[in-house]
Amino acid sequence: MRSLADRATGWLARGVIVFLYVPIVVVVVLSFNDSDVTYKWAGFSTRWYGVLAGDTDLLSSLRVSAEVGVASATLATAGGLLAAMGMARLGRRFRAVFSGGLFLPLVIPEIVLGVALLSVFGTLRADLGLTTLVLGHLVVTLPYAALIVLGAHGALDPALDEAAADLGCNAWQRFRRVTLPLLRQPLVAAWLLCFTISFGNIVMSTFTSGVGTTTLPLRVYSLLKGGLTPEINALGTLLVLFTFLIILGAGLRQMRRVLVGGDGTPG
Amino acid sequence: MPRRAVSRTLLATSFVASSALLASACGGSGATATSSSGGGKNLNIYAWAGEVPDSVVKGFEKETGIKVTVDTFDSNETMTAKLSSGSSGYDLVEPSQYTVQQLIGQQLVQPLDHAKIKGLDNLAAKFRDPSYDKGLKYTVPWIWGTTGFAYNDKCVKSATSWKTLFDSKYKGKLYMLDNMLAAYIAGLQVTGHRATSTDKDQISEATSVLQKQKNILAGYNSTNYPQLLASGRACAAEAWSGTAMAKVVQSDSHVHYVIPEEGGSVWTDGLAVPKGAKNTTSAYKFINYLLRPEVAAKATDDGSSASANQAARSYVKGKAALNNPAVYAPDSAIAKADFLLDPGTAMQYFQQGWTKVKAS
Amino acid sequence: MTETVAAPPPVSPPPSVSLPPAVPTRRTGVRRTAVTAALLAPAGLTVGALVLVPLALVLRNSFATADPYGGIQGGFTLANYHELLDPVYLKVFGYSLGMAALNSVVCLVLGYMVSYYLVGRPPRRQGLLLLLIIVPFWTDFLVRTFAWINLLSPGGPVNALTDALGLTHGPTEWIPSQGASFVGLVYAFLPTAIFPVYASLRGVDPALGEAARDLGCGWWRVHTRVLLPLARPGLLAAALLTFVPTLGVFVIPVLLGGGKHQLIGNLIVTLYTEFRNQPMGAAASVVLLALMIVSLAVFGAAAGRLRRAQRKGGTS
Repeated sequence: MRSLADRATGWLARGVIVFLYVPIVVVVVLSFNDSDVTYKWAGFSTRWYGVLAGDTDLLSSLRVSAEVGVASATLATAGGLLAAMGMARLGRRFRAVFSGGLFLPLVIPEIVLGVALLSVFGTLRADLGLTTLVLGHLVVTLPYAALIVLGAHGALDPALDEAAADLGCNAWQRFRRVTLPLLRQPLVAAWLLCFTISFGNIVMSTFTSGVGTTTLPLRVYSLLKGGLTPEINALGTLLVLFTFLIILGAGLRQMRRVLVGGDGTPG
Repeated sequence: MPRRAVSRTLLATSFVASSALLASACGGSGATATSSSGGGKNLNIYAWAGEVPDSVVKGFEKETGIKVTVDTFDSNETMTAKLSSGSSGYDLVEPSQYTVQQLIGQQLVQPLDHAKIKGLDNLAAKFRDPSYDKGLKYTVPWIWGTTGFAYNDKCVKSATSWKTLFDSKYKGKLYMLDNMLAAYIAGLQVTGHRATSTDKDQISEATSVLQKQKNILAGYNSTNYPQLLASGRACAAEAWSGTAMAKVVQSDSHVHYVIPEEGGSVWTDGLAVPKGAKNTTSAYKFINYLLRPEVAAKATDDGSSASANQAARSYVKGKAALNNPAVYAPDSAIAKADFLLDPGTAMQYFQQGWTKVKAS
Repeated sequence: MTETVAAPPPVSPPPSVSLPPAVPTRRTGVRRTAVTAALLAPAGLTVGALVLVPLALVLRNSFATADPYGGIQGGFTLANYHELLDPVYLKVFGYSLGMAALNSVVCLVLGYMVSYYLVGRPPRRQGLLLLLIIVPFWTDFLVRTFAWINLLSPGGPVNALTDALGLTHGPTEWIPSQGASFVGLVYAFLPTAIFPVYASLRGVDPALGEAARDLGCGWWRVHTRVLLPLARPGLLAAALLTFVPTLGVFVIPVLLGGGKHQLIGNLIVTLYTEFRNQPMGAAASVVLLALMIVSLAVFGAAAGRLRRAQRKGGTS
């Protein structure tokens, strides 16, 4: 029997998710605007999708952002997972020091870190480009990945690992068979959040991007001066639509698996 | 174990999502070329968004076979920070006039070799020997514009003076640019001083006017103020001419752009070659290309900006732009206008003052 | 075990010798340290090279003077810190701390509720819901912000709704305002609060909640006594991840708040850019950093004391 309070919480949570989509609805609607500006409706048109398809600058920015997002989110999640496992083996004091260090980048305003990082890269004579951009984003996303994985790792029951050890599993087997499966969803959560943060980052990108590696948000931000057109809305709409298709695809595949009965995977 | 299966699918899903995103982006994108010690085959430009139109870049690439990469910035300071790191990789940058002074002071740009430049005499007289770069030793002016204000005549009948922005009649419907230098142009001129003033007392006088003004402002805005004016949510707003403002003035007959009778101010964005640039030959070729009147005219036709090239005016196809004060301010209106210069050591007075204004 | 041994050895060895060593030998100790170091290396090196080194630079610059062209002149001075004592700056710090605290409390409450809802779904749907929550944030931040501006503009959809509900009468100007700015902040930081809480709440055995309920605990007690304490690591993480970055936000207060109230983020960005005063910007960051470290230490000590007190209370 679910209590009234539980049900109320459920409705509130759904409300929050809907709240997240409120501006997205506006973005989608305005992407079909025939006007040159986003604040005035001038009839239905799909012309901005055509403009978008021909806009090589914007699309190459999208590509840079996607590359940097995937690379930095993967590095940050992996680094965060390893750090969480390593920290579990540390004594209290060392753990406090190490976690303090991990969360430092959160506390320093990004512009300060960005400018300082830029002068470090300059001193090292490192050419600004994809590598520096990924490193910059890694600095920004690592604390998020580390905190999420650390939180999830801390909530694990240590008895499971011990039980596996008692059953004769070596460290690698325990990692593969126990820790990783248990942490999989938190890892997905961490990766998604890191990718999203990297994908939307402006400040760090400003200082670590180089020739030909203008990211999408940087491009959009600099377009502001001339006024944004519904083209950017079209891009946003496509991204949302695209993800929905994937969600739908994944959902269908799962459903089929359930129907066929091969739900369990070996191992 | 269903849980595991599901999470595995999810992990796969997110990777598929991202890699498909990559693939889709790759499909439409041109190759992003980076300069590799190119013997004049590449050119990397760092410019204000929209001020070097695509048509200009394409035309240059077609004519010379040089591969051009244009990256855009949204503030002079960002560009300066990149240059001072020494590893930006750009061959041409487009600083505004007061930033030119800083770049020269920090020795981040190299003197131009005038023997390699053709067509400087196409420039308008005002830009041939400007106060911020005497003799154009370091820069070639490209775009110019003004700092003034705009109003919607449904709300403000007519306006010619900065005083409109300080009039409590329009309380809650006024906006100022969210930019210290721009705010002080109004603050200094409305109190009867020059925009280029570096006098401590004059600046503090301007500060107190601006501080009082804050109470009647709806806000500080340097992004979507043209929209706010067009929709009538702003009665009047301090404004930069060019691009967004120009479009609104052209499309909405109720919005007017004014260079205030107190003077206003002229800004200009020009091209400079950073120290350590690798493809200087291409850079000079591009500068010469931009100095051609028929090319410079595209800055107006495709970028809604005023060209510093006087000869270009006869090549402009959209003649309306020539009479749109939000693109080309009339000569009479800018006669009194100064170039806004780097305040130098007076910066501290501005900093203290503006902090007081913003934090009060 | 050998079964054919006829007679036990005359003297059986002491049992402790045959058992695996309880105390790690020197060899396994070294190995253990090496593994720990290897696990910590990627994150440690990243932080060391890309955070601590730049931070040292920031610290150094905070004692330097700015040159008139916006560069850094070197030298040693305390003037940058001294200037920060001006009440104007203290006001900005105070306002930012308040705004950040409010934002993180709201995000935390909403984030916890959403996470609780998520972990109650069938596992297969949880991941999809997570994706669903994050997708809106793949649309460019500025585009979303402008969508909010459209929504909240006078005569816009939200206005129409409040008119219909009788809350407002006619066009109402909500932007720019501190309220709009706050809505923007909450919106921007919600996923940052949801994800860590979800990640740690997921590790909690749902049977625990059921058990508590079966034992007659009300809804409130199930949460405050059972689930919340177990989700503590995630909640702490979420609190950190929302509170601290809020201080550095600078676009939202300008676009939605009209730029009339500054957060520390705005202040530092202005110092770095418009004022061309990197040394003072660096000093402001160092002060912010120090403030954060002190408050985290106090926070940590308080949390530790609370936990110990709870444990003591639980056992008695």
